[in-house]
Amino acid sequence: MGLTRRKFLKTAGLTAGAVGIGLSGFDFKAWAEVQEDSEVVKRASLCNVCASHCGMWIHVKNDRIWKVTGHEENGRSQGRLCPRAHGGIDWVYDPYRLKQPIKIEDDGSVRPIGWNQALDEIAEKLTQILEEEGPEKVFYAHNPRRTGVFYGNRFMHALNVSTIMTHNAACNTARGRGFGASMGGVPSADIGNSKYVVMIGRNYGAGIRTSQLKAVNKAVKGDTTLVCVDPRQNETSIIADKWVPIKPGTDLAMVLAMCKVIIDDDSYNHEFIEEHTIGFDQFADSLDEYTPEWAEELTDVPADTIREMARGLADVAPAAIVHPTWKGAFGCNYENSTETARAVAYINALLGNINQDGGLKFYNGPSTGSLDPDRYPAPAAPDTKRADGAGVEDEYPLATGHGLPHVLAERIKEGKVKAGFVRHHNPVRNFPDYDHMEEGFGALDLLVVFETQRSETAMVADYVLPEPSFAEREEIIESRGGSRGYLAMRTQAIPKMYGKTKSFDEIIRELAVRMGVGEYFKFTMDEANAAILEPFDISLIEFKEKGSMMVDVPQPEPWPELGTPSGKFEFYSETFEKHGAPPIAGWLPPATGLEFGANEFRLVHGKEAYHSHTATANTPQLLQITKDYNTNRLWINASVAEEMGIEDGDEVRVSSDIFSDTTRVKVTERIHPETVYYPGSYGNRTFHYRVAHEIDSLNPNDFVKYQVESIVGHAMVNEVIVTVEKV
Amino acid sequence: MSNDKNGESRRDFLKKGAAGAAALIAGFGMKGSRANAENLDASKKAILMDQSLCVECQSCRLACQRENDFPITAQSIKFKSIETGSYPEVEYNSTRWSCFHCNDAPCIDSCPVDALERQYGEMNVTDIEDCIGCGACLNDCPYDVPEIIEGKMYKCNGCVHLLEDGEEPACVTTCPTYAVEFGNQEEMAELGVERVEELEADGKEAYLYGLEAQDGLGLFLILRTAPEDFELV
Repeated sequence: MGLTRRKFLKTAGLTAGAVGIGLSGFDFKAWAEVQEDSEVVKRASLCNVCASHCGMWIHVKNDRIWKVTGHEENGRSQGRLCPRAHGGIDWVYDPYRLKQPIKIEDDGSVRPIGWNQALDEIAEKLTQILEEEGPEKVFYAHNPRRTGVFYGNRFMHALNVSTIMTHNAACNTARGRGFGASMGGVPSADIGNSKYVVMIGRNYGAGIRTSQLKAVNKAVKGDTTLVCVDPRQNETSIIADKWVPIKPGTDLAMVLAMCKVIIDDDSYNHEFIEEHTIGFDQFADSLDEYTPEWAEELTDVPADTIREMARGLADVAPAAIVHPTWKGAFGCNYENSTETARAVAYINALLGNINQDGGLKFYNGPSTGSLDPDRYPAPAAPDTKRADGAGVEDEYPLATGHGLPHVLAERIKEGKVKAGFVRHHNPVRNFPDYDHMEEGFGALDLLVVFETQRSETAMVADYVLPEPSFAEREEIIESRGGSRGYLAMRTQAIPKMYGKTKSFDEIIRELAVRMGVGEYFKFTMDEANAAILEPFDISLIEFKEKGSMMVDVPQPEPWPELGTPSGKFEFYSETFEKHGAPPIAGWLPPATGLEFGANEFRLVHGKEAYHSHTATANTPQLLQITKDYNTNRLWINASVAEEMGIEDGDEVRVSSDIFSDTTRVKVTERIHPETVYYPGSYGNRTFHYRVAHEIDSLNPNDFVKYQVESIVGHAMVNEVIVTVEKV
Repeated sequence: MSNDKNGESRRDFLKKGAAGAAALIAGFGMKGSRANAENLDASKKAILMDQSLCVECQSCRLACQRENDFPITAQSIKFKSIETGSYPEVEYNSTRWSCFHCNDAPCIDSCPVDALERQYGEMNVTDIEDCIGCGACLNDCPYDVPEIIEGKMYKCNGCVHLLEDGEEPACVTTCPTYAVEFGNQEEMAELGVERVEELEADGKEAYLYGLEAQDGLGLFLILRTAPEDFELV
């Protein structure tokens, strides 16, 4: 069929005016032929729609992106791409993208500002704050991507700023600390080789990392038993062997009971327990009450099902997994999430599956090079106290180094934090309690947001500094582990669309010079990348063509020494004990309890395959799927709906203690009766997201109060009871 | 171009040869009806969609739109789904729905400007330039596939521009669960039969749709519930 004239015009994106030729002398036919014969060029890049950074080829014709395809030699994509990668092209061509820096004055007026003036002002203000208030009142928050870590952390360290935060407190911090304290870190799940896999909330079918779905294919087509535990019959459970509905917030009870079954059956891995763990006896002694019948009362999971799963796992161990998850059911959801994470670590220990095939694996990563420290010395690690209390003795000692943005918001309001940078991250929208987050971040004396769109966080900034889109910039090489490791980089696929955008590395270098720490940024990105590649038999020029390559890495040693104080798996954590947390994980309920009155439900949320949190509702190609399938609806159990006189598509009012709004319902059998569910993809508050506002929607975060969990300080994103009433 | 599934390549399935394949398919009972191996055309290509692996992520739809420069409102690939049973014993089933590339295609006959024709691999392809968006094809399509948007008709055209270059359709190469296969119609039918038998051996309900309808289709569906449940005739 070839490229028709009509089609090429769309792809070329050119007009006669842009070409710069007067129409009278313009030979359209000749020009069309030239365009049609133009080559399609493939340039190596990384998708930017989520943190997976799947390797991809950007196919470019006449400097315009046509399509994207998966990079074959990349550990994350393995030649395939999830839906969001395709939709992400819309970000590049968003007509409302930021094309130049802007300054938001105190009176709320917005004006464009030149780079030199913006950076001069920011440097001056930040220097003043560092001198008058100190580095303990400054922070850097980002959804960490390699370039942001490389340049942002270096800059902050140079300024002696220790408060570097990520999104984790609204993602997987409970999981991180729970596994960290017991297992020394968070391993990957070798589900493709496993014989029995229980996923508690982790939804591979919607929270997609492309390579993981390849493993799901292998599990589904092979003889793996795949069980999904979730209050909702999620996208993974529809192809799994079994859906186990559960009352949200009670996963901990189910897992403790499963541990008891395995211990009572004496089917745990004796060798692993005896030689590689501490505190097993105390844990075993604590389980008397946690029978499957006890758990059934709390969880609504039948006692026999609890036994079936426990025994199914133990029968095939060590090729058996209870998945560590990302956020899932216990990343940051409830007061009991840290303990749920520990209990999940415990059951995996009973199965003896650490670094076993089909179990949990601590993979090794490639050994990359780095900048010569003599030629390019790095700044010393900061010796200042964190502003958010994370890791601080009498504040949040067990919080991880990923920090607590929601706590920071409170401290900003108290005048304890003055300035910060936010890059590639939208904490104002993506943490609970919008008013709390907006007021907090808005109260800073200086907030600089590095963004390509005017997100909710950008709305309360003082300066918004736009990078070019991911397709227009080159970045620091990433390296990741696995059964095989890989190196990958983003290369520039199309010319910079707007001259007044600057990449993050450029901005940081220029700010560093202004602030007297330019000595730490004397290298070019090419020099940094060449240093990273040094141990490998490929030049940087060759690697830019290739984009991604798999490399061999040492295979995990079975039952290795772990990153815990004892070097062993710790059922009993002295660290937890020292900081006032229970040394052994035991049952506790969610903070908002487990009793629901009439028309009361727990509100839970989750991912959709074609959206990334609230970053893509403004993307036309992806929002079109929402519109076609009406997915911006509140899921409610069919029997409950019938009792309430609610039919599919009806409008209801959803209310919590702090927020109320209306939405339409999806009446379905696929959800636990005391639960309502809404996808987390919508509810953008920034009026700049014009496309996102083409539909009515909610954001579950609006309903949830600002809360801080007792052990690690996470944001407790599911601790909310709502009433639902027919409108 | 074989995909690695549990270490076996697709080619391993196809050692039986044409006669063996016909026998396998002819003997394959489709819940009472006898499959018609004569509908398989040696020159025809087909897409094999395995719903037992599909999570409806929509990557196929999006890749198709980009590959073919379709409007974002053109649902060239969509999904129909049914929920049966009641909580907690709920069954959810879905099917891909896109041009079925019928061997006997009413759309080709109905088009008043001959904008539809058989091309590479006997895929049914639209010439978008010639199309006048009249909707006659939609009227006659047994599956209601054609989408008319601003005076033009959009549907899956089998990515023939890729097939001619020895590549596979965009939906096949993007699918992150490897649910979509592509190859000779006979080969795809055989794979489909194998997969249905595998699922049944595992105690799961499974059906293969596409061997009989419209004298054989260029899109086969491995379904976990009866085709009639989706009004597939």
